[in-house]
Formats: sequence, structure tokens, C-alpha cells
Amino acid sequence: MAAFGFLDDVMRMNKRQLYYQLLNFGMIVSSALMIWKGLMVVTGSESPIVVVLSGSMEPAFYRGDLLLLTNHKEEPIRVGEIVVFKIEGRDIPIVHRVLKVHEKEDGSVKFLTKGDNNAVDDRGLYARGQLWLEKKDVVGRAKGFLPYAGIVTILMNDYPKFKYAMLAFLGIFVLTHRE
Amino acid sequence: MASSKNLPAAEDVVKIDKWDSGALKNALDDGAKKVFVDVLHYKESHHLMDGRLVICTIAVFFAMFALVWDYFYPFPESRSVLMVCVISYFVLMGVLTLYLTYAEKGIFLVALEKDPAMMEPDNKWVLSSSLRKYDVMYNLTIQYTDGKTREERVVSCSKCVASFFDENGVFCFDLFSPVLEGLRKDLLSDKKKL
Repeated sequence: MAAFGFLDDVMRMNKRQLYYQLLNFGMIVSSALMIWKGLMVVTGSESPIVVVLSGSMEPAFYRGDLLLLTNHKEEPIRVGEIVVFKIEGRDIPIVHRVLKVHEKEDGSVKFLTKGDNNAVDDRGLYARGQLWLEKKDVVGRAKGFLPYAGIVTILMNDYPKFKYAMLAFLGIFVLTHRE
Repeated sequence: MASSKNLPAAEDVVKIDKWDSGALKNALDDGAKKVFVDVLHYKESHHLMDGRLVICTIAVFFAMFALVWDYFYPFPESRSVLMVCVISYFVLMGVLTLYLTYAEKGIFLVALEKDPAMMEPDNKWVLSSSLRKYDVMYNLTIQYTDGKTREERVVSCSKCVASFFDENGVFCFDLFSPVLEGLRKDLLSDKKKL
């Protein structure tokens, strides 16, 4: 009985309080979600915050740095900028610097990227037969960074069981604690 | 005395973590609610709580809608819908804060005392409480509105929470209910004097 003492509060609730408890949990999740979606709207990027997962951009960015991205359509892509892009067939976006840009008069752009810490450009990373990136591949451009703030994300990804245990614990805590 | 008749049965002993001020307040509020609803058989009015539930439900609905819409129409397409959802959500959170501060104001029970003859409008009892964090004084305010004369009267009291809990954190309803009975009688005897 003592082991389930934390359920006492829940057992004493009436149906309105139980529903509010669920809503409370829903609102915590919703707030996080709405902040994320709000950032998407403001920055124009589908993923406004990313964590650097590799050392290919050292010494500019290290593993675990948090990047803030924007992706406004009207801003042109320029050589030297750091872009985050997706490659067909790869799940994880890549953060690299723009090396060459070709712009046509109709507004279409193709560009090549390279990691600062890599010896060669990214053509080997692109999909088979792909020589250039286009605007549609871009997730965003790095506009700000927070050193090492994303290290928790890396740890969570490396130890998924730890992540699920944390989430389950927090979820149960919120659901069983009244207000 | 109400206390001897209404000793809690063994199964509904309320035992809480006595160092958790939120749990203390909830236990005391529930105790006061029990006096008015279970012992005196006044009818609880849920309008205030329902208002809060409606605001929260709509807010969560907006968030879920944004999630589903974004799933079916990926980002650049869903931008305007997302914008509407995000703005509505944060506006509703603001409304919720205002509602909690100005409408609920710590009110945890609105009880309606039916006129036995069903001729007069209900008498209204509004109970609100506060217990500041790291404070031992529980402040309870009872506001009474007479259904017929629309006359309002208020009493409040501050008691140390330790007077109603034993060392193990068990809530002593038989010590708490006389306090409420006393407050209630004060309010009603005021009426007779006038």
C-alpha cells in the first residue's frame, strides 16, 4: 500500500479534478509544442533550433553546440554562410559552410558546401549523382549559437533508455501531483 | 457536535506529506468542501471550475490541431494555420491567468443553500483560501450572500495548519469541522442581529 502512496491524491479526485489533471499535463506538452511552432513561424525554418552532432565544423562549432536557424525566402544564400541542409536518404540534417554559389536570372540557385574541418567538399555526402544543393534542400541558416547547450540532447540520443525513463518519470509526476 | 457524528471512516483517512504546502492546502480545502457539501448537503456549483476547464480545453485543442495540421501539410504550407494556432494558444494562456487572478481568486467552493420551501432564491456560500509557501497560516474566507435580500457578509479566519494535522500528516477532520461550523454560525447570527 505504501508503495502506491503517491496515488492517494489521484484516488481522492473527482472527475473534474481528474480531467483538469490531464489538461494540466496536456498544457505542459502544448506549451512546449506551441513555442516550437511559434519559432518555426517566426524564423521560417522547419527546424529553428538544431544541435551540432559532429565535429566537421570545428573550430567554429563543436559537438553539442546549439544553433538558431532562420530561413527567410527573400535573403539570398551567400558564400561563407553556414547552412543546415537535408540530403535525400539521410535522416539527420548537416551543418556546413557554403563554398560556391551559382545564381541564375530566374532566381534559382545551386551551391556547394564543405565542412571547415573536412579535407574535401561535400559531393561525397550528397545523394548519388547530386552535384549541387538547391534552395529546397535548405533547412535554415545559422544566425546564432549557444556553446554546449545541446549536450543533453546528445546524451539523450546516445542513451535512449535514459531518455524514456526521464520522460516517464516526469509524466507520472505531473499526472499524480495535484496542481 | 458535528465532530462526533462525522468521524471519517477508516478508508477515507486523508494522509498527506505535511511538508508539502500544496497538499496541505488541498486537504484543508477538501475538508471545508466536505463540511458544506457532504455534511450540510448544500449543492456545489461548478461554474467557476467549468470555466477554467473550458479555457484549458480550447487551448489544448488549438495545440493538437496545429500538430495534426502540420503533420498533413508540412511546414511552409501550414505557416498561416500555425500562426493562428500559436497566437490563439498564447492569448488563451493569458486569459487563463486573468481568469485565475480575477475570477477564481482562490475560490475553491461555491455552494448553494436551497430554500427548503423552494420559494426563495438560493443562499450562496463562497469559500476561498490561501496558504503561502513556507507559511503556516491557512487563511479561509467565507462570503455569504442571502438569496432573498441580496445582502452580503464576509468572515475570515487564519489558523495555523498544525492545528488540523497530526504528526504523521493525517488530516483531523473532527478538529477542522467545528472551526467551519463556528464561522458559519457567526455569519448566520449576524443576520439575526440585523
